[in-house]
Amino acid sequence: MNLVSFFFEGLIMAAGGAGKVHDGLTFWQRIQPPEDISEHGHLIEWLFNYTTILNIFFFALVCAGLFGFSYLYSAKRHSKPYYTYGNKKSHIMVATAIGLSVFLAIDMNITRMSNNDYTGVFINWPDEDKEEVYRVQVMAQQWAWHFRYPGKDGVFNTEDDVVYLNDLRVPAGKKVVIQMISKDVIHSLYLPNARRKVDAIPGRITRIWFKLNKPGKYDIACAEMCGTYHYRMQAKLTVYEDADMNAWMAEAQEKAIQENDPENLERYWGWTWQKTTRKEVSMN
Amino acid sequence: MAFYEQHIHPKPTTFISKYIFSYDHKVIGKQFLWYGILGLGLGGIMALMIRWALAFPGEAFPLIGQFMFPETGGVIPPDTYAMLFTMHGTIMIFYAITPILIGAFGNFCIPLMIGCRDMAFPLMNMLSFWLAVLSAVLLVGSLFTPLGAAAGGWTAYPTLSTLIGSPGVGQTLWAVAIFVLGISSTMGAINYITTVITLRAPGMGYFDMPLTIWGLWLTAILNAIFLPVLGAGGLLLVFDRVFGTQFFLAGAAATSGTGDPVLFQHVFWIFGHPEVYILILPAWGIVSDILSFFSRKPAFGAKATALSMTSITILSTLVYGHHMYTTQMSPLLTQTFMTLTMTISIPSAIFFANWLGTIWKGSIKFDTPMLFSLGVVFVFGLGGLTGLYLGTVTTDLYLHDTYFVVGHFHYTMAASVLFGSFAAIYFWMPKMFGKMLNETWGKIHFWLTMLGLNGVFFGMLFVGYAGMHRRLYDPFVYDFLQKLVPINTFITWSAILMGLSQIIFVVNFVYVVFWGKEETDPNPWKVGTLEWTIPSPAPHYNFDQIPVVKCGPHELGNPNLTTDRDFQYQTEELVEA
Amino acid sequence: MERTAILHSDSAEGKRLVSSIAMIVVLVSFSMLFASLFLGYSYFRITSPVWPPMGMDKVELFYPTLSTFAIVLSSMTFMIFRAKYFGGGDVKKTLPWLLGTIALGLGFMYTQFSLWADLKSKGFYASSGVFQSLVYSFTWIHAAHIVIALLALAYLIPVTMKKECTITEENKVNNVGKFWHFLDVIWLLMYFIIFVI
Ligand code: HEA
Ligand code: HEA
Ligand code: CUA
Ligand SMILES: [Cu+2]
Repeated sequence: MNLVSFFFEGLIMAAGGAGKVHDGLTFWQRIQPPEDISEHGHLIEWLFNYTTILNIFFFALVCAGLFGFSYLYSAKRHSKPYYTYGNKKSHIMVATAIGLSVFLAIDMNITRMSNNDYTGVFINWPDEDKEEVYRVQVMAQQWAWHFRYPGKDGVFNTEDDVVYLNDLRVPAGKKVVIQMISKDVIHSLYLPNARRKVDAIPGRITRIWFKLNKPGKYDIACAEMCGTYHYRMQAKLTVYEDADMNAWMAEAQEKAIQENDPENLERYWGWTWQKTTRKEVSMN
Repeated sequence: MAFYEQHIHPKPTTFISKYIFSYDHKVIGKQFLWYGILGLGLGGIMALMIRWALAFPGEAFPLIGQFMFPETGGVIPPDTYAMLFTMHGTIMIFYAITPILIGAFGNFCIPLMIGCRDMAFPLMNMLSFWLAVLSAVLLVGSLFTPLGAAAGGWTAYPTLSTLIGSPGVGQTLWAVAIFVLGISSTMGAINYITTVITLRAPGMGYFDMPLTIWGLWLTAILNAIFLPVLGAGGLLLVFDRVFGTQFFLAGAAATSGTGDPVLFQHVFWIFGHPEVYILILPAWGIVSDILSFFSRKPAFGAKATALSMTSITILSTLVYGHHMYTTQMSPLLTQTFMTLTMTISIPSAIFFANWLGTIWKGSIKFDTPMLFSLGVVFVFGLGGLTGLYLGTVTTDLYLHDTYFVVGHFHYTMAASVLFGSFAAIYFWMPKMFGKMLNETWGKIHFWLTMLGLNGVFFGMLFVGYAGMHRRLYDPFVYDFLQKLVPINTFITWSAILMGLSQIIFVVNFVYVVFWGKEETDPNPWKVGTLEWTIPSPAPHYNFDQIPVVKCGPHELGNPNLTTDRDFQYQTEELVEA
Repeated sequence: MERTAILHSDSAEGKRLVSSIAMIVVLVSFSMLFASLFLGYSYFRITSPVWPPMGMDKVELFYPTLSTFAIVLSSMTFMIFRAKYFGGGDVKKTLPWLLGTIALGLGFMYTQFSLWADLKSKGFYASSGVFQSLVYSFTWIHAAHIVIALLALAYLIPVTMKKECTITEENKVNNVGKFWHFLDVIWLLMYFIIFVI
């Protein structure tokens, strides 16, 4: 591991990045994904690493064959080739064995795990009849994110809604459900620190839920090409302890009631919340 | 089996009929080759500009920057960056790799290797090339329109690619160009399919065809079936842009919101996924053959390889949904596509095993074509295995639209397919031009490219896993990507290395074609497929006697041989103990 | 496997097979084009709660039905033409049927144009919604193919005038015919799927 790391650092220095490398990170630290602040992000990382190990094993096999044979059977070392069509029973069995072992050892394996995480967590929507969730509506637009909170009345798309631009604030340790649309082109809400992304598409509502544990300030990005300034379509994610959350929200709600002008129809891009109930949950 | 014998018409005399509007599959093949190499150069230079913008944001692009972007003092502006990667993707896929592998070697190899005098429909063949030229003109022309070329990515997702996202004729021209190219390739496909079915030399059964032909044939089938799907999508997109129809407009954007942008994604990927196999199937075939030729022994499990390719062809039509996980399809669809995607690696692994089996106990000669073929085994291993991370839905939710994807498909296309093309060029050069490319420079070209390529594409995998997403003009506006500056610089230097090493190739190629010395030996590689039974460069109408096939394409290293040769021509009765 | 050398002595037989195989591939490609359009149609139809969407009413069947008659008839006249042509009937007997086919084809185009004009007069524009978009785009694309097919039919006139009928003429007549019948079938599908139901 360190050896690899060392090797690449050497290369990178040599590559003239040297001027910018003074943040003193090792190569290994550089290629780590951003810190995981979510309850379930580790599932994704785990599966990734698991796949990596299996892949390394099989790729090692390929390399062993590739380089080993190239060395052993080069014309000068091995002048008389072994004349075979590879249709002996043993040959066929080996080939099929490899095929199947790749399929069973890697594919079905990771598919099963991924499927469990998928159904068990990522589309296992919290049941809003049973538990209280933190709800946010998002409208993506070239090139900005609008975030809408229900406000005091707890109902979306009313004049007391709290609406912020490029600034999402959520509580730690509580399930967050986000519903989103897009005003113009397709965008993709990308939370690197939660290992998640979902497209925001004009004309339909897409949803995502997650649970964040680590208070702090993080990046939100747009992952789907959406025009010239796609690269600048960023927002900030703030994760609060409960106390700070309530404080901020109370203040924001007050502000909203004072400052929102109900006449301004521009403000009403929200929609009535699409509740996820047990029925739907079991459907997935 | 040959359904009829093609007549030998007199040689064309005028320059025009010889080199411009030629019906001869060999000439058309060469035309496509030049076309493709130019495309490679264009796309490659664009790639280098992309890399420059990523490594040195806000620094003027060297040499040509000043002339191209005077208003910014040579710095690549953001909108231009979008055009660059859109055009880079489009050109590399449709105007570089497709013409080289399918256009050039499809045309050149099929009649020669199945032993007929020309394609079944020479006229259609010529039209197909000139339509491709027309399409290229449309595409390049779009660069010079007022608002510039298409900038919505090669996938051209609406609503970005409709008037809402990209006004101006650039995007329309893009769609039209792709449509025209689609027609051209479909014509080619019809030709290939028919030729392979009907004009194989007498005695040549399907499993006596070289695997190259298998690859090209399956590719042609996929082309004939799925290019029209892309055509339909493109048409509807053009209608939306020009006639104001509503297919892909929705929500706040549409006057009456019943269109749906996601429909385009379905249509595009129904074509798009088969397309990636369209690109790689010929490469697989070529590699399987070359590995056998240069290990001087029959291709290991050739039948199994052919059948694996066939089953991949079939499977490839059922997995396209894995490009759309983040659009939140119904869970059932998502799970189905995930599972189907995974099954593709069975056949893949099988012919990996066969490739290794081929070189196993061979007597390997490391000429340049062989080097490139071995290179394909290496890089496609990486490319294929990285596909698995993307196939599982949960990891894809994180990796989708990051550079991990970019790394994956560069390993599969820009590495495997590109190497396949190079292997083909080095291998058939003597038959095409009657001259050999310089071996030493060929080997240098291989090693430098290999070095640069892994630097670029493995680097992409790293930054991708670190969270850097695609199509970013300046990734470093994000705090969490700051730490990737040095790696991106490293990738860029590797890309420059790779780019420069292509110049070696181009110079070698151009020099040999025009000034190289004739290769006297009609069969320099000592292999037995039909094209090597005739003089090189292949004469007018290839075979004055239609050959009769008596054995398979990979008859090398047969111990029972009494001749001084260690291989048999396909026209010879198989020697058995 | 069997390695008997087969090289068709009579190359006419071979050429016939080749051209029919190629024609199959061609038709597969074209059907994929239309199949994708139908896919789009069903996609919208399934996802929208009511059809046609948002209380817009169906297209009147008058012109589409006329078109249907025209094109079905034209297919029949073509069959007669083909029978007579291969029956070796002289030009005076065969050509009228070909011309009849072409005339009916033109008639089809005429009904299409009147359909579009009629729709426009009713304020039914391609840009007013996805249903309209579907109706127009389908008819446009199909009509474009009809135009090409009509040119091909016209091209058959000199072919039929020729004295002898070699394999080349035979193939030309057969393939143009197949294409024409194919477009006929596509129209029938469209007629039922977008206009009737
Ligand atoms: C030639 C091109 C090519 C090829 C061959 C492949 C092959 C595969 N691809 Fe790739 N892919 C692309 C080109 C290609 N891809 C492109 C262009 C895109 C992006 C388009 C865009 O968005 O712009 C893409 C994107 C893409 C995605 C979407 C990612 C995303 O956008 O989120 C996915 C997801 O499943 C995927 C999966 C796969 C899989 C599972 C394979 C499988 O076929 C791989 C099968 C091979 C193996 C599994 C390896 C072989 C087996 C072994 C080495 C085992 C060991 C053997 C022994 C021990 C002997 N690809
Ligand atoms: C076969 C296809 C192919 C090939 C060969 C390549 C080759 C390369 N690609 Fe490309 N790439 C794509 C297909 C391909 N790419 C696609 C489909 C996309 C997605 C586009 C999108 O997002 O929409 C993409 C996107 C893409 C990106 C992401 C852009 C972004 O998302 O912001 C990057 C970034 O580094 C990149 C880099 C490179 C590099 C460094 C090479 C190097 O391999 C290039 C090396 C150079 C050459 C191979 C030729 C150089 C030749 C000369 C200099 C000599 C000149 C010769 C003559 C004039 C005759 N590519
Ligand atoms: Cu919004 Cu990218
Ligand atoms: Cu795919």
